[in-house]
Amino acid sequence: MKRFLIACFLLVLAANVYATPEQDRLALREFFAQRFPDLDLNEMINGLYAFDEGAREQWLEMEDFPPYEIAIEEGEGLFNTPFANGKSYADCFENGGIGIKQNYPRFDTESGEIITLEYAINQCRTDNGEEPLPWLTGPLAAISAYMAYTSRGNLMSVVIPDDPRAVAAYESGKEYYYTRRGQLEFACENCHMQSAGNLLRADRLSGMLGQATHWPVYRSKWGEIGTLENRFMECNLQVRAKPYEAQSRVYRELEYFLSYMSNGMEMNGPASRR
Amino acid sequence: MKHKLSVLVPALLAGLMLHASAMAADAAEYKETLARAQETLRDAESKVQLWSTSEILLLDAEAAAASGDFELAVALANEARLHGELAVATAEREKKTWQKHVPK
Repeated sequence: MKRFLIACFLLVLAANVYATPEQDRLALREFFAQRFPDLDLNEMINGLYAFDEGAREQWLEMEDFPPYEIAIEEGEGLFNTPFANGKSYADCFENGGIGIKQNYPRFDTESGEIITLEYAINQCRTDNGEEPLPWLTGPLAAISAYMAYTSRGNLMSVVIPDDPRAVAAYESGKEYYYTRRGQLEFACENCHMQSAGNLLRADRLSGMLGQATHWPVYRSKWGEIGTLENRFMECNLQVRAKPYEAQSRVYRELEYFLSYMSNGMEMNGPASRR
Repeated sequence: MKHKLSVLVPALLAGLMLHASAMAADAAEYKETLARAQETLRDAESKVQLWSTSEILLLDAEAAAASGDFELAVALANEARLHGELAVATAEREKKTWQKHVPK
């Protein structure tokens, strides 16, 4: 009887400490529903423009001739250019690489690694004897932009399989998101949950929900299109934390967690931001 | 004049030797401080908590040492070590508290 009671106690304790990814996602939506009771949460895929009517109007006007359009065209051209061995990107992806971005990052059961879309693009290149492309901007971001464009309207569907390595990767990404770091001691959560919708000097902060649906992004500040990892690095530097290498395990796990939190939300990449 | 020289030369030599020994001590102190700073920063990095400012301080310290300014080099290496210690303290605190911020 004593053992049974101890087992029950431990079970209850574990249930309180450990939440499944789906419980996390639902709790996050509830957090934002309470924080912004009048907001349609699905609007949060538009980042700060979900909160700021004036900025939203300017952004919508910009969308008539979006600055990322050139990247989509460039990406389409690159995507359809065969490699030296005659194969192409389409051969590396399910459905010929069209309309699949919502499934990334994905967990690769063979290697135990988290595979982001950009990681998969470069993996496709090296598997076919081509040099990998630089990670953060340029041709790789353009190919990613084209693939994102073909996925518009689909719903984010990141899967965390019943594999302890996948769950551990998700948990690492989650810990990273909620951990304060850098000389300024800020966690991602401090800006994008606690302060979401608030002004930080002249910039309004986006919320965590929908934060992974619209990449890559043309940021006016960058003057070009860049990947989500480029933004991770920028965020790290803003709080004076040393950024990690692009496509490092730390960032891929962070993207895995962040993307899962946007599950069920509409894909709307590429996008433009200030 | 002869008398003056017999006092001045040894005094000058003694002064030079003292200066050289002070320089040597500073260089050794810098090496030791640098090693301690590097160890602390490695610890911070292993805890996913390295600051972006710390390694720049070490580079500045290296440059100061190369120019012979060991006082500055030691001060900069010490500051880098302090950054590392604070980052490790953040890591240890956050390990215990980050879960509290996750919506339940």
